[in-house]
Amino acid sequence: MVSSAFHTESLTKRYGRMTALDRLDLSVPPGEVFGFLGPNGAGKSTTIRLLLGLARPTAGRAWVFGADAADVAVTHRRLAYVPADVALWPRLTGAETLELLARTGPGTDLAYRAELVERFGLDPSKPGRTYSTGNRQKVALIAAFATRAPLLVLDEPSSGLDPLVEREFRRAVGEARDNGQTVFLSSHQLSEVEAVCDKVAILRAGRLVDVATVRELRRLHRTEVTAAFATAPPDLTRVPGVEEVETTGATTVRFALTGPPGPALRALADADVLNLAVREPSLEEIFLGYYGGRER
Amino acid sequence: MTAAETATGKGWGAAPSATWAVTGLALRQTSRGAVVVIALTALMSAVTVGAYRGAVASPSDAAALAALAENPAIRTLFGEPVALHDAGGFAVWRTGTVLSVLLAVWGLLAATRITRGEEDAGRWDVLLAGRVPVRSVVAHHLATLVAWALLAGVAAFTGLFAAGATAGGATAHATGLALCGVFFVALGTLTSQVFAERSSASGAAVAVLGVGMLLKMVGDGIAGLEWLRWLSPFGMAALARPYDGDHMGPLAVLGAVCTLLAVAAIAAAGRRDVRGGHLPSSSGRAPRRVLLGSPQAFAVRRLLRPLAAWSAGIGVYYLLIGVLAVSMTAFLAANPRFAELAAQAGFGGLVTVEGYVATLFALLAVPVGAFAAVRLAGLAQEETSRRLTLLLAQPVTRVRVLAAEVAAAVGGAFVLTTVAGLATWAGARTVGAGLGLLAALSGAWNVLPVVFLCLGIGALALAWVPRAVAFAGCVPAAGGFLLKVFADTWGWPTWIGQVSPFTHLTALPDVPVGRDAAMVMTTIGVLAVVVGAAGYRRRDLRV
Repeated sequence: MVSSAFHTESLTKRYGRMTALDRLDLSVPPGEVFGFLGPNGAGKSTTIRLLLGLARPTAGRAWVFGADAADVAVTHRRLAYVPADVALWPRLTGAETLELLARTGPGTDLAYRAELVERFGLDPSKPGRTYSTGNRQKVALIAAFATRAPLLVLDEPSSGLDPLVEREFRRAVGEARDNGQTVFLSSHQLSEVEAVCDKVAILRAGRLVDVATVRELRRLHRTEVTAAFATAPPDLTRVPGVEEVETTGATTVRFALTGPPGPALRALADADVLNLAVREPSLEEIFLGYYGGRER
Repeated sequence: MTAAETATGKGWGAAPSATWAVTGLALRQTSRGAVVVIALTALMSAVTVGAYRGAVASPSDAAALAALAENPAIRTLFGEPVALHDAGGFAVWRTGTVLSVLLAVWGLLAATRITRGEEDAGRWDVLLAGRVPVRSVVAHHLATLVAWALLAGVAAFTGLFAAGATAGGATAHATGLALCGVFFVALGTLTSQVFAERSSASGAAVAVLGVGMLLKMVGDGIAGLEWLRWLSPFGMAALARPYDGDHMGPLAVLGAVCTLLAVAAIAAAGRRDVRGGHLPSSSGRAPRRVLLGSPQAFAVRRLLRPLAAWSAGIGVYYLLIGVLAVSMTAFLAANPRFAELAAQAGFGGLVTVEGYVATLFALLAVPVGAFAAVRLAGLAQEETSRRLTLLLAQPVTRVRVLAAEVAAAVGGAFVLTTVAGLATWAGARTVGAGLGLLAALSGAWNVLPVVFLCLGIGALALAWVPRAVAFAGCVPAAGGFLLKVFADTWGWPTWIGQVSPFTHLTALPDVPVGRDAAMVMTTIGVLAVVVGAAGYRRRDLRV
């Protein structure tokens, strides 16, 4: 039994003087839905291209289920891939493209494929050139999910999908997870990662910033509390766990809360609170924490 | 651009430069091919005038040539000989058809490529989101191509005039040529507005070219149907009768037709959806599942359509070659001066049917080599357009994909050469030339080693200079052919001629097979494919 779906060791890719990926060490355990988060140009697609053997690393190596990533005839038997920008053969209809990908691919569950065509609402009789971005994406997603391959590599898979199809996409990811498949999902959309992933690796400027569970990521950050009082607000600056107190009006206060909320709640209870709003920061804001400051 | 700049009017001032940028884009996309076409036009015109002075030294030569030119098959191929007594008239007769078809094909393919092709690929979405409306973009692309076609006319005039032909006839001929180019540039632009798909737009324009050529051929060859030439751009250019009256009337009509086409194209551009045509594309069809089972099968599937088109073109040409076998060889036997000249340019043994056929079979290497090179260039194109990514994400190695494409191209080359052999044999049979089927076939197959060389060089280019696959792949055949002709004609040192694969082609079916040269070329081709495959396997995919 291999301990990871794939792993990389000091994986580096340089294009001339530009370093697209800098010594990436990443291991993705089997059976997880693993998010790969970073802004455009962070090196997400480069990593995936190296993983698929479409590009050669400048240094370091990558393995897929224990096999060298360059050995595509072996590794691609256990994975399916959806590129960020799907290009189809203009003369082949959707059905013909699915047929080609099924017959050259690692094996396809035809019944599941038919079900997915239905669920994703794809009209497979149209020639490739007439498909919109979203429909091209659907074709590639259906082909990939229908393989039931142990590893699904999805590069910004839902960027062109409408909300209904996106829901189906999330369902399909869930089914893959239930099936024991590993899903590696690259994205710059936090809601997507937040909704479907167990773990997230964050990439920035070609370097791995952090690997954490979605829950851990959230815990790293504070809760934002806005309180409105009947009278002048109490002094909260000395309460443990309370930071960045900001008076937003004569009787309103906003502050950040970290750690156990007990002391802050007690302090609030003593005052005459009219209204209280507690907001968990979105991953977006957590994300900005990583990229804020120097990069802006 | 900042708000302040816009407010001061710089934004408005930039408007003319926006259309210039569009023209610049069109120029960048067409200049390379246009320069080649223009250079060929000038060179062929000049060289043919020179050849006439060498060949037709006495009145008896001229009379023999005139007799040959009256042969219906020759008339069909080269058109009506109107002024063979004149060097310029001879050049017009000899090169007119070839050059007008060259200009027409280049013009229509360039037009559909830079208009519909770019739009279909989605690259115009960004362009058309800018200040310049679609009608203006189309108009500027069209104007650029028209300018190139007119320059080709100037090149033809310069070539003829510089080689010593008189200016009047040269003007009529060059105008006719340029207008043929303009006609097909405008037609290609128009079909690009009508059809939503580049291949359909090109196909429709090519069909018009075929019909136009056919009408002219029938009009040239059959007395009583001369009027048909008024229906064809090539026919109208011929009706100008360069060096025999230089009638400007037909050219004026042709010019008017060209203007009409161009106006129609620009008008049509403004009245349609971007990425759409005036004819709705098919809304769906039942799947055709054949030849989708493997990369090999898929390579064959993508090959079939272009192969049919290439087969039709090559088949028709070699059918005519076969039909001409007897009259050409009889002419050359009776007029040794022409045979000598041909021998000087490296084409000996033309006085027998076998020798004549063998020489023209050697030429077959050029189109079939180009066909093979274009197939590999198609693979490079699949890669840049990212279609190949889906296939290469399958458990399929790049070497296998390349091998499939090479195998399909080899198969296609075999089909094309077989078609040429069969067509020549069939044509020769109709005139009782006594050319055996096996002799015809083996003569045609004889060029396959050169095609292997083309594939080898193409594969090397795919590995290291993927942008230049088509050009590099054509070098052994087209480049080698030109090299041999130049080296023999101008007496270049022997070793230069030796570089050309054509020097090593035995003149089958005239001379028994020379296995050694064929083996060497095939080996080099195979080795180059192997090295190319190794390089292709190791490099990054260009996406």
